[in-house]
Amino acid sequence: MTEAFDPELELARFRNYQKNTGAIVSFTGIVRSDADTLILSHYPGFTDDEVKRVGEQALERWGLKDYMIIHRVGEMQAGDVIVLVAAASRHRRDAFEATDYIMDKLKSDVPFWKQEKRDGAVKWIEPRAQDKDDLKRWET
Amino acid sequence: MAKILFYGRLSECSDTLDITLPKMIKTTSDLMVWLGSQNPALKKALEANGNRVAVNRTMISTSCIITDKDEIAFMSPLSGG
Repeated sequence: MTEAFDPELELARFRNYQKNTGAIVSFTGIVRSDADTLILSHYPGFTDDEVKRVGEQALERWGLKDYMIIHRVGEMQAGDVIVLVAAASRHRRDAFEATDYIMDKLKSDVPFWKQEKRDGAVKWIEPRAQDKDDLKRWET
Repeated sequence: MAKILFYGRLSECSDTLDITLPKMIKTTSDLMVWLGSQNPALKKALEANGNRVAVNRTMISTSCIITDKDEIAFMSPLSGG
């Protein structure tokens, strides 16, 4: 959980750590301009553990070399980077799938809560049916 | 004292509670019913679909036994990323 960060710098740093990796796939989530402000809250002392658990699950399931998950909390504006996920593996398919999996879990299975401020009104954003269907794809 | 936390939409209905659990509360279900009886807005929010419950920072999917040493969190649907 962090304040604003530079995704290019973090990704370059991640790439430099790797040895004998054939593929890195990354996902950058950006705040859309639908809302004036997005507010992300978390459960201190629990969210970090759950984020790590998801990363470790992906590491094991796809035999990744490494992974990185950076997720912001607090107030964000349109254009701000909210999340960066990267997976490193020997071959590309594992890294693609692991990144997709981690994002699906972050969307609706890790303790984060999202509020949107639009024209002065604040409303809670809950997962869409699509997010729930996305999560089901990994139940095997 | 048990610590009872509320996250997401539920945080609008109650602040964190540090309480000695009344004797009749043995499980998370008992606690939910009792909290609802104290606070009608919270009752409605707790009955909404998709809420999660964690005891000592572990998600639970069925009611679970609790004591005064526990941290119990009630959470509205999770939404990150």
